[in-house]
Amino acid sequence: MSDDLKTKVQDLIDTMINPAVAGHGGFVELIDVQDNRVYLQMGGGCQGCGAADITLKSGIERLIKEELPEVAEVLDTTDHSSGTNPYYSAGKA
Amino acid sequence: MDRLLLLLPTTTYRTEDFLDAARTLGVDIVCASEKPSTFEAHAPDHLLTLDFTDPDAAAAKVAELAGRRPLNGVVGVDDLTTVAAAAIAERLGLRSSAVAAVTAARDKYQMRQCLAAAGVPIPRFRRIALKDDPFLAARGVAFPCVLKPLALSASRGVIRANNVDQFIAAFRRIAALLQRDDVEVSGDAAQFLLAEQYLPGVEVALEGLLVGGTLHPLALFDKPDPLEGPFFEETIYITPSRLPADVQQAIERVTATACAGLGLGEGPVHAELRVNDAGPWVLEVAARSIGGLCSRTLRFGTGMTLEEIILRHALGWPIASLARERRPAGVMMIPIPRAGRLHAVHGTEAAAAVAGIEEVAITAHVGQEVVPLPEGWQYLGFVFARADTPDAVEAALRDAHARLAFEIR
Repeated sequence: MSDDLKTKVQDLIDTMINPAVAGHGGFVELIDVQDNRVYLQMGGGCQGCGAADITLKSGIERLIKEELPEVAEVLDTTDHSSGTNPYYSAGKA
Repeated sequence: MDRLLLLLPTTTYRTEDFLDAARTLGVDIVCASEKPSTFEAHAPDHLLTLDFTDPDAAAAKVAELAGRRPLNGVVGVDDLTTVAAAAIAERLGLRSSAVAAVTAARDKYQMRQCLAAAGVPIPRFRRIALKDDPFLAARGVAFPCVLKPLALSASRGVIRANNVDQFIAAFRRIAALLQRDDVEVSGDAAQFLLAEQYLPGVEVALEGLLVGGTLHPLALFDKPDPLEGPFFEETIYITPSRLPADVQQAIERVTATACAGLGLGEGPVHAELRVNDAGPWVLEVAARSIGGLCSRTLRFGTGMTLEEIILRHALGWPIASLARERRPAGVMMIPIPRAGRLHAVHGTEAAAAVAGIEEVAITAHVGQEVVPLPEGWQYLGFVFARADTPDAVEAALRDAHARLAFEIR
Protein backbone atom coordinates (compact mmCIF):
# COMPACT_ATOMS: atom_id res chain seq x y z
CA MET A 1 0.00 0.00 0.00
CA SER A 2 2.75 2.42 1.06
CA ASP A 3 4.89 1.51 -1.96
CA ASP A 4 1.93 2.05 -4.23
CA LEU A 5 1.26 5.43 -2.64
CA LYS A 6 4.94 6.27 -2.85
CA THR A 7 4.88 5.61 -6.58
CA LYS A 8 1.85 7.85 -7.02
CA VAL A 9 3.42 10.67 -5.02
CA GLN A 10 6.65 10.36 -6.99
CA ASP A 11 4.66 10.56 -10.19
CA LEU A 12 3.00 13.78 -8.99
CA ILE A 13 6.37 15.23 -8.07
CA ASP A 14 7.80 14.40 -11.48
CA THR A 15 4.88 15.57 -13.58
CA MET A 16 3.40 18.52 -11.65
CA ILE A 17 5.38 19.65 -8.63
CA ASN A 18 8.93 19.84 -9.93
CA PRO A 19 7.96 21.49 -13.22
CA ALA A 20 6.21 24.19 -11.14
CA VAL A 21 8.99 24.90 -8.63
CA ALA A 22 11.62 24.74 -11.38
CA GLY A 23 10.41 28.21 -12.31
CA HIS A 24 12.16 29.47 -9.17
CA GLY A 25 15.18 27.18 -9.52
CA GLY A 26 13.78 24.74 -6.98
CA PHE A 27 13.16 21.03 -6.78
CA VAL A 28 11.46 18.60 -4.43
CA GLU A 29 12.57 15.09 -3.51
CA LEU A 30 10.42 12.38 -2.00
CA ILE A 31 12.13 11.01 1.10
CA ASP A 32 9.52 8.51 2.27
CA VAL A 33 5.85 7.72 2.77
CA GLN A 34 4.91 6.29 6.17
CA ASP A 35 1.41 5.84 7.58
CA ASN A 36 0.01 8.01 4.79
CA ARG A 37 2.39 10.80 5.71
CA VAL A 38 4.57 12.08 2.91
CA TYR A 39 8.08 13.25 3.81
CA LEU A 40 9.67 15.65 1.36
CA GLN A 41 12.88 17.57 1.02
CA MET A 42 13.17 20.83 -0.86
CA GLY A 43 16.29 21.91 -2.71
CA GLY A 44 17.69 24.60 -5.00
CA GLY A 45 15.76 27.86 -4.83
CA CYS A 46 13.23 26.33 -2.40
CA GLN A 47 15.81 25.51 0.28
CA GLY A 48 15.81 28.39 2.74
CA CYS A 49 13.35 30.37 0.64
CA GLY A 50 11.16 32.82 2.56
CA ALA A 51 8.13 31.46 0.72
CA ALA A 52 8.95 27.75 1.11
CA ASP A 53 6.19 27.23 3.69
CA ILE A 54 3.61 28.79 1.39
CA THR A 55 4.79 26.60 -1.48
CA LEU A 56 4.67 23.51 0.69
CA LYS A 57 1.36 24.01 2.50
CA SER A 58 -0.73 25.98 0.01
CA GLY A 59 0.80 24.49 -3.10
CA ILE A 60 2.38 21.08 -2.78
CA GLU A 61 0.34 19.63 0.09
CA ARG A 62 -2.93 20.90 -1.36
CA LEU A 63 -2.11 19.40 -4.77
CA ILE A 64 -1.06 16.05 -3.32
CA LYS A 65 -4.16 15.79 -1.13
CA GLU A 66 -6.45 16.70 -4.00
CA GLU A 67 -4.93 14.05 -6.25
CA LEU A 68 -4.37 11.48 -3.50
CA PRO A 69 -7.02 11.97 -0.77
CA GLU A 70 -5.56 9.10 1.26
CA VAL A 71 -2.53 11.28 2.11
CA ALA A 72 -2.95 12.61 5.66
CA GLU A 73 -0.10 15.11 5.80
CA VAL A 74 2.91 16.37 3.90
CA LEU A 75 5.96 17.07 6.03
CA ASP A 76 9.03 19.09 5.15
CA THR A 77 12.33 17.53 6.29
CA THR A 78 14.49 20.18 4.65
CA ASP A 79 17.34 21.83 6.54
CA HIS A 80 16.41 25.29 5.33
CA SER A 81 19.30 26.92 7.21
CA SER A 82 21.70 25.14 4.84
CA GLY A 83 20.14 26.58 1.72
CA THR A 84 22.73 28.50 -0.26
CA ASN A 85 20.60 29.98 -3.01
CA PRO A 86 17.05 30.64 -1.77
CA TYR A 87 14.74 32.37 -4.22
CA TYR A 88 13.47 34.83 -1.57
CA SER A 89 15.32 35.90 1.58
CA ALA A 90 13.61 37.16 4.73
CA GLY A 91 14.16 40.50 6.45
CA LYS A 92 12.71 41.96 9.64
CA ALA A 93 9.72 44.31 9.53
CA MET B 1 -14.31 25.86 8.19
CA ASP B 2 -13.43 29.54 8.55
CA ARG B 3 -11.31 30.99 5.80
CA LEU B 4 -8.66 33.64 6.41
CA LEU B 5 -6.43 35.66 4.11
CA LEU B 6 -2.83 36.09 5.19
CA LEU B 7 -0.77 38.80 3.53
CA LEU B 8 2.74 37.35 3.48
CA PRO B 9 5.48 39.32 1.74
CA THR B 10 8.14 37.08 0.22
CA THR B 11 10.70 38.80 2.46
CA THR B 12 8.94 38.28 5.79
CA TYR B 13 10.27 36.12 8.62
CA ARG B 14 6.70 35.61 9.84
CA THR B 15 5.38 33.04 7.34
CA GLU B 16 6.21 29.85 9.23
CA ASP B 17 4.77 31.00 12.55
CA PHE B 18 1.52 32.26 11.04
CA LEU B 19 1.03 29.15 8.91
CA ASP B 20 1.73 26.94 11.94
CA ALA B 21 -0.90 28.87 13.90
CA ALA B 22 -3.43 28.47 11.09
CA ARG B 23 -2.74 24.74 11.01
CA THR B 24 -3.21 24.47 14.77
CA LEU B 25 -6.52 26.31 14.58
CA GLY B 26 -7.73 24.35 11.56
CA VAL B 27 -8.32 27.47 9.50
CA ASP B 28 -8.47 27.38 5.71
CA ILE B 29 -5.73 29.80 4.67
CA VAL B 30 -5.43 31.89 1.53
CA CYS B 31 -1.87 33.20 1.10
CA ALA B 32 -1.20 36.42 -0.75
CA SER B 33 2.28 37.68 -1.64
CA GLU B 34 3.54 40.52 -3.75
CA LYS B 35 5.14 38.09 -6.19
CA PRO B 36 3.48 35.07 -7.74
CA SER B 37 3.79 31.62 -6.20
CA THR B 38 4.93 28.80 -8.44
CA PHE B 39 1.64 27.06 -7.60
CA GLU B 40 -0.78 29.93 -8.13
CA ALA B 41 -2.17 28.40 -11.32
CA HIS B 42 -2.83 25.11 -9.48
CA ALA B 43 -4.54 26.74 -6.48
CA PRO B 44 -6.12 30.04 -7.53
CA ASP B 45 -8.48 30.07 -4.54
CA HIS B 46 -5.62 29.68 -2.07
CA LEU B 47 -2.68 31.54 -3.61
CA LEU B 48 -2.88 35.11 -4.73
CA THR B 49 -0.57 37.84 -5.96
CA LEU B 50 -1.39 41.30 -4.58
CA ASP B 51 0.28 44.65 -4.99
CA PHE B 52 0.60 45.65 -1.32
CA THR B 53 1.60 49.17 -2.35
CA ASP B 54 -1.84 49.68 -3.97
CA PRO B 55 -4.34 48.87 -1.19
CA ASP B 56 -7.43 49.75 -3.27
CA ALA B 57 -6.40 47.45 -6.10
CA ALA B 58 -5.56 44.72 -3.61
CA ALA B 59 -8.97 45.11 -1.96
CA ALA B 60 -10.75 44.94 -5.33
CA LYS B 61 -8.89 41.77 -6.29
CA VAL B 62 -9.64 40.10 -2.96
CA ALA B 63 -13.30 41.15 -3.16
CA GLU B 64 -13.52 39.25 -6.43
CA LEU B 65 -12.07 36.15 -4.78
CA ALA B 66 -14.33 36.54 -1.74
CA GLY B 67 -17.33 36.75 -4.08
CA ARG B 68 -16.60 33.17 -5.12
CA ARG B 69 -15.49 31.88 -1.71
CA PRO B 70 -16.15 34.18 1.28
CA LEU B 71 -13.42 35.15 3.70
CA ASN B 72 -13.90 35.46 7.47
CA GLY B 73 -10.75 37.37 8.31
CA VAL B 74 -7.63 39.05 6.98
CA VAL B 75 -4.24 39.55 8.63
CA GLY B 76 -1.25 41.48 7.35
CA VAL B 77 1.78 39.97 9.00
CA ASP B 78 4.18 42.91 8.88
CA ASP B 79 4.66 46.57 8.03
CA LEU B 80 4.55 46.08 4.26
CA THR B 81 1.03 44.69 4.42
CA THR B 82 -0.84 46.51 7.20
CA VAL B 83 -2.52 49.15 5.03
CA ALA B 84 -3.52 46.67 2.33
CA ALA B 85 -4.94 44.36 5.02
CA ALA B 86 -6.98 47.21 6.49
CA ALA B 87 -8.28 48.18 3.04
CA ILE B 88 -9.30 44.60 2.33
CA ALA B 89 -10.98 44.28 5.73
CA GLU B 90 -12.86 47.55 5.21
CA ARG B 91 -14.06 46.43 1.78
CA LEU B 92 -15.23 43.05 3.03
CA GLY B 93 -16.55 44.22 6.42
CA LEU B 94 -13.95 42.24 8.37
CA ARG B 95 -12.38 43.02 11.73
CA SER B 96 -9.58 45.59 11.51
CA SER B 97 -8.52 49.10 12.43
CA ALA B 98 -9.60 51.84 10.04
CA VAL B 99 -7.49 52.34 6.91
CA ALA B 100 -6.75 55.97 7.86
CA ALA B 101 -5.45 54.94 11.26
CA VAL B 102 -3.21 52.20 9.89
CA THR B 103 -1.97 54.54 7.17
CA ALA B 104 -1.02 57.12 9.80
CA ALA B 105 0.86 54.47 11.76
CA ARG B 106 2.90 53.62 8.65
CA ASP B 107 4.14 57.19 8.19
CA LYS B 108 6.36 58.43 11.01
CA TYR B 109 5.44 62.07 10.32
CA GLN B 110 1.69 61.48 10.21
CA MET B 111 2.02 59.33 13.30
CA ARG B 112 3.77 62.06 15.26
CA GLN B 113 1.19 64.63 14.17
CA CYS B 114 -1.62 62.39 15.45
CA LEU B 115 0.23 61.61 18.69
CA ALA B 116 1.05 65.27 19.33
CA ALA B 117 -2.59 66.20 18.78
CA ALA B 118 -3.60 63.53 21.28
CA GLY B 119 -1.20 64.89 23.89
CA VAL B 120 1.04 61.83 23.83
CA PRO B 121 4.59 62.53 25.00
CA ILE B 122 6.82 62.31 21.91
CA PRO B 123 10.15 63.83 20.90
CA ARG B 124 10.07 67.20 19.11
CA PHE B 125 10.05 66.48 15.39
CA ARG B 126 10.35 68.08 11.98
CA ARG B 127 9.79 66.76 8.48
CA ILE B 128 12.49 67.78 6.00
CA ALA B 129 12.36 67.47 2.23
CA LEU B 130 15.19 65.46 0.71
CA LYS B 131 15.50 68.09 -2.00
CA ASP B 132 16.39 70.69 0.65
CA ASP B 133 19.95 71.76 1.36
CA PRO B 134 20.93 69.73 4.45
CA PHE B 135 23.18 72.51 5.72
CA LEU B 136 20.23 74.90 5.79
CA ALA B 137 17.87 72.22 7.12
CA ALA B 138 20.23 71.58 10.05
CA ARG B 139 19.74 75.18 11.22
CA GLY B 140 16.23 74.42 12.39
CA VAL B 141 17.20 71.38 14.46
CA ALA B 142 18.42 71.12 18.04
CA PHE B 143 21.23 68.64 18.76
CA PRO B 144 21.54 65.80 19.47
CA CYS B 145 18.85 64.66 17.07
CA VAL B 146 17.86 61.47 15.25
CA LEU B 147 17.21 61.34 11.51
CA LYS B 148 15.04 58.60 10.09
CA PRO B 149 13.14 57.68 6.92
CA LEU B 150 9.36 58.06 7.12
CA ALA B 151 8.41 54.50 6.30
CA LEU B 152 11.21 51.99 6.90
CA SER B 153 11.28 49.68 9.92
CA ALA B 154 13.73 47.61 11.98
CA SER B 155 15.83 50.75 12.70
CA ARG B 156 16.81 50.89 9.05
CA GLY B 157 18.17 54.32 8.20
CA VAL B 158 17.90 55.63 11.77
CA ILE B 159 20.98 57.75 12.53
CA ARG B 160 21.90 60.01 15.43
CA ALA B 161 23.55 63.35 14.71
CA ASN B 162 25.28 65.42 17.39
CA ASN B 163 26.22 68.38 15.22
CA VAL B 164 25.73 69.93 11.79
CA ASP B 165 28.43 67.83 10.09
CA GLN B 166 26.91 64.61 11.37
CA PHE B 167 23.45 65.86 10.38
CA ILE B 168 24.57 66.47 6.80
CA ALA B 169 26.28 63.06 6.60
CA ALA B 170 23.20 61.30 7.99
CA PHE B 171 20.89 63.25 5.67
CA ARG B 172 22.89 62.18 2.61
CA ARG B 173 23.17 58.61 3.80
CA ILE B 174 19.38 58.33 4.21
CA ALA B 175 18.81 59.94 0.80
CA ALA B 176 21.15 57.33 -0.75
CA LEU B 177 19.47 54.52 1.18
CA LEU B 178 16.07 55.47 -0.22
CA GLN B 179 17.50 55.07 -3.73
CA ARG B 180 18.61 51.47 -3.15
CA ASP B 181 17.01 48.75 -5.28
CA ASP B 182 15.90 46.88 -2.15
CA VAL B 183 13.99 49.87 -0.76
CA GLU B 184 10.44 50.30 -2.01
CA VAL B 185 9.07 53.65 -0.90
CA SER B 186 6.87 56.09 -2.77
CA GLY B 187 5.02 59.35 -2.19
CA ASP B 188 6.07 61.35 0.88
CA ALA B 189 8.23 58.49 2.13
CA ALA B 190 10.46 58.90 -0.93
CA GLN B 191 10.64 62.69 -0.64
CA PHE B 192 11.04 63.46 3.06
CA LEU B 193 12.84 62.35 6.16
CA LEU B 194 12.12 62.99 9.80
CA ALA B 195 14.44 64.73 12.25
CA GLU B 196 13.53 64.43 15.90
CA GLN B 197 14.95 65.20 19.30
CA TYR B 198 17.25 62.50 20.69
CA LEU B 199 15.90 61.34 24.03
CA PRO B 200 18.21 59.76 26.57
CA GLY B 201 16.81 56.83 28.55
CA VAL B 202 16.13 53.14 28.37
CA GLU B 203 14.08 51.66 25.58
CA VAL B 204 11.21 49.18 25.82
CA ALA B 205 8.80 47.51 23.41
CA LEU B 206 5.20 46.83 24.24
CA GLU B 207 3.29 44.11 22.45
CA GLY B 208 -0.45 44.47 22.65
CA LEU B 209 -3.79 43.50 21.17
CA LEU B 210 -6.54 46.02 20.53
CA VAL B 211 -10.07 44.73 20.92
CA GLY B 212 -12.93 47.13 20.42
CA GLY B 213 -10.61 50.09 21.02
CA THR B 214 -9.21 48.74 24.30
CA LEU B 215 -5.51 47.93 24.48
CA HIS B 216 -4.68 44.61 26.11
CA PRO B 217 -0.95 44.59 26.90
CA LEU B 218 0.49 41.16 26.05
CA ALA B 219 4.15 41.63 26.93
CA LEU B 220 6.55 44.41 27.83
CA PHE B 221 10.11 43.85 26.67
CA ASP B 222 13.23 45.47 28.10
CA LYS B 223 16.00 46.24 25.63
CA PRO B 224 19.05 46.00 27.89
CA ASP B 225 21.65 47.00 25.30
CA PRO B 226 22.11 50.79 25.20
CA LEU B 227 20.54 52.39 22.15
CA GLU B 228 22.48 55.64 21.97
CA GLY B 229 23.53 55.73 18.35
CA PRO B 230 24.95 56.52 15.95
CA PHE B 231 22.81 53.60 14.74
CA PHE B 232 20.05 51.92 16.70
CA GLU B 233 20.54 48.21 16.30
CA GLU B 234 18.04 46.16 18.28
CA THR B 235 19.60 43.10 19.83
CA ILE B 236 18.16 41.71 23.07
CA TYR B 237 14.49 41.72 24.10
CA ILE B 238 13.60 40.37 27.56
CA THR B 239 10.17 39.93 29.12
CA PRO B 240 8.86 40.50 31.73
CA SER B 241 10.31 43.97 32.12
CA ARG B 242 12.50 44.70 35.12
CA LEU B 243 11.21 48.27 35.35
CA PRO B 244 9.20 49.21 38.47
CA ALA B 245 5.49 48.36 38.35
CA ASP B 246 4.40 52.00 38.32
CA VAL B 247 6.65 52.72 35.32
CA GLN B 248 5.25 49.71 33.49
CA GLN B 249 1.73 50.93 34.17
CA ALA B 250 2.64 54.37 32.84
CA ILE B 251 4.04 52.76 29.67
CA GLU B 252 0.77 50.89 29.17
CA ARG B 253 -1.31 54.02 29.74
CA VAL B 254 0.73 56.11 27.31
CA THR B 255 0.63 53.37 24.67
CA ALA B 256 -3.14 53.08 25.02
CA THR B 257 -3.47 56.85 24.57
CA ALA B 258 -1.20 56.66 21.52
CA CYS B 259 -3.32 53.92 19.93
CA ALA B 260 -6.47 55.95 20.56
CA GLY B 261 -4.79 59.08 19.18
CA LEU B 262 -3.97 57.24 15.97
CA GLY B 263 -7.49 55.81 15.80
CA LEU B 264 -6.29 52.21 15.99
CA GLY B 265 -9.01 50.00 17.41
CA GLU B 266 -8.52 46.37 16.42
CA GLY B 267 -5.64 43.95 16.07
CA PRO B 268 -2.01 43.65 17.13
CA VAL B 269 0.17 46.64 17.96
CA HIS B 270 3.89 46.88 18.55
CA ALA B 271 5.02 50.05 20.31
CA GLU B 272 8.54 51.32 21.00
CA LEU B 273 9.08 53.76 23.86
CA ARG B 274 11.90 55.57 25.60
CA VAL B 275 11.71 55.90 29.37
CA ASN B 276 13.57 58.51 31.41
CA ASP B 277 13.01 60.63 34.50
CA ALA B 278 10.21 62.51 32.71
CA GLY B 279 8.35 59.22 32.11
CA PRO B 280 7.61 57.21 28.95
CA TRP B 281 7.89 58.76 25.47
CA VAL B 282 6.38 57.08 22.44
CA LEU B 283 8.77 56.58 19.52
CA GLU B 284 6.67 54.31 17.31
CA VAL B 285 3.33 52.50 17.27
CA ALA B 286 2.99 49.94 14.50
CA ALA B 287 -0.31 48.25 13.65
CA ARG B 288 1.28 44.82 13.53
CA SER B 289 2.88 42.27 15.78
CA ILE B 290 6.56 42.06 16.75
CA GLY B 291 8.92 41.46 13.82
CA GLY B 292 11.45 38.79 12.93
CA LEU B 293 11.09 35.50 14.77
CA CYS B 294 10.83 37.34 18.12
CA SER B 295 7.25 36.24 18.80
CA ARG B 296 8.63 32.79 19.61
CA THR B 297 9.48 34.16 23.05
CA LEU B 298 5.78 34.49 23.82
CA ARG B 299 3.29 31.90 25.03
CA PHE B 300 -0.14 32.64 26.43
CA GLY B 301 -2.63 30.77 28.58
CA THR B 302 -1.99 27.08 28.14
CA GLY B 303 0.59 27.50 25.39
CA MET B 304 -1.10 29.58 22.73
CA THR B 305 1.24 31.45 20.38
CA LEU B 306 0.98 35.14 19.55
CA GLU B 307 0.00 34.23 16.00
CA GLU B 308 -2.87 32.05 17.23
CA ILE B 309 -4.15 34.99 19.25
CA ILE B 310 -3.93 37.31 16.24
CA LEU B 311 -5.75 34.85 13.97
CA ARG B 312 -8.43 34.18 16.58
CA HIS B 313 -8.98 37.90 17.01
CA ALA B 314 -9.21 38.49 13.25
CA LEU B 315 -11.80 35.74 12.97
CA GLY B 316 -13.78 36.93 16.00
CA TRP B 317 -13.11 33.67 17.83
CA PRO B 318 -12.96 33.59 21.64
CA ILE B 319 -9.52 33.85 23.25
CA ALA B 320 -9.34 31.96 26.53
CA SER B 321 -6.51 33.98 28.03
CA LEU B 322 -4.26 36.86 27.08
CA ALA B 323 -2.02 36.25 30.10
CA ARG B 324 1.58 35.53 29.15
CA GLU B 325 3.25 32.55 30.79
CA ARG B 326 5.08 33.56 33.98
CA ARG B 327 8.52 32.25 33.03
CA PRO B 328 10.89 34.99 31.82
CA ALA B 329 11.90 34.74 28.18
CA GLY B 330 14.02 36.60 25.71
CA VAL B 331 15.44 36.77 22.24
CA MET B 332 18.62 38.07 20.74
CA MET B 333 18.49 39.30 17.18
CA ILE B 334 22.00 38.52 15.97
CA PRO B 335 23.39 41.69 14.44
CA ILE B 336 25.44 41.86 11.26
CA PRO B 337 28.89 43.08 12.35
CA ARG B 338 30.11 44.16 8.92
CA ALA B 339 29.24 44.08 5.25
CA GLY B 340 30.27 41.17 3.08
CA ARG B 341 29.23 37.68 2.15
CA LEU B 342 28.49 35.11 4.84
CA HIS B 343 31.06 32.37 4.39
CA ALA B 344 30.52 30.15 7.43
CA VAL B 345 28.84 29.97 10.83
CA HIS B 346 30.58 28.32 13.78
CA GLY B 347 29.53 27.51 17.30
CA THR B 348 25.81 26.90 16.90
CA GLU B 349 25.94 23.66 18.90
CA ALA B 350 27.95 25.31 21.67
CA ALA B 351 25.50 28.21 21.74
CA ALA B 352 22.50 25.87 21.88
CA ALA B 353 24.13 24.00 24.77
CA VAL B 354 24.07 27.03 27.06
CA ALA B 355 21.66 26.50 29.95
CA GLY B 356 18.38 28.26 29.24
CA ILE B 357 18.85 28.46 25.48
CA GLU B 358 15.85 27.01 23.65
CA GLU B 359 16.75 27.61 20.05
CA VAL B 360 19.49 29.04 17.88
CA ALA B 361 17.99 29.89 14.49
CA ILE B 362 20.50 31.04 11.89
CA THR B 363 18.39 32.65 9.20
CA ALA B 364 21.09 34.10 6.94
CA HIS B 365 22.37 31.54 4.47
CA VAL B 366 25.93 30.82 3.50
CA GLY B 367 26.77 32.85 0.43
CA GLN B 368 24.28 35.60 1.32
CA GLU B 369 25.38 39.19 1.05
CA VAL B 370 24.90 40.73 4.48
CA VAL B 371 24.52 44.44 5.06
CA PRO B 372 24.79 46.04 8.52
CA LEU B 373 22.75 48.99 9.74
CA PRO B 374 21.85 51.60 8.82
CA GLU B 375 21.49 50.33 5.22
CA GLY B 376 20.69 46.72 6.15
CA TRP B 377 17.42 45.29 7.42
CA GLN B 378 18.18 41.65 8.12
CA TYR B 379 19.72 39.67 10.96
CA LEU B 380 22.10 36.74 10.94
CA GLY B 381 19.63 34.85 13.08
CA PHE B 382 17.87 34.68 16.42
CA VAL B 383 18.69 33.10 19.79
CA PHE B 384 15.87 32.27 22.22
CA ALA B 385 16.09 31.66 25.95
CA ARG B 386 13.88 30.94 28.95
CA ALA B 387 15.05 30.93 32.56
CA ASP B 388 13.92 31.60 36.12
CA THR B 389 14.74 35.31 36.06
CA PRO B 390 15.10 38.01 33.41
CA ASP B 391 18.76 38.41 34.45
CA ALA B 392 19.37 34.71 33.80
CA VAL B 393 17.69 35.00 30.39
CA GLU B 394 19.92 37.93 29.48
CA ALA B 395 23.06 36.11 30.68
CA ALA B 396 22.16 33.02 28.65
CA LEU B 397 21.59 35.07 25.49
CA ARG B 398 24.91 36.88 25.89
CA ASP B 399 26.78 33.65 26.60
CA ALA B 400 25.23 31.93 23.58
CA HIS B 401 26.00 34.87 21.31
CA ALA B 402 29.61 34.91 22.48
CA ARG B 403 29.96 31.28 21.35
CA LEU B 404 28.83 32.06 17.81
CA ALA B 405 31.32 33.07 15.15
CA PHE B 406 30.37 34.32 11.71
CA GLU B 407 32.89 34.36 8.89
CA ILE B 408 32.00 37.30 6.67
CA ARG B 409 34.33 38.01 3.75
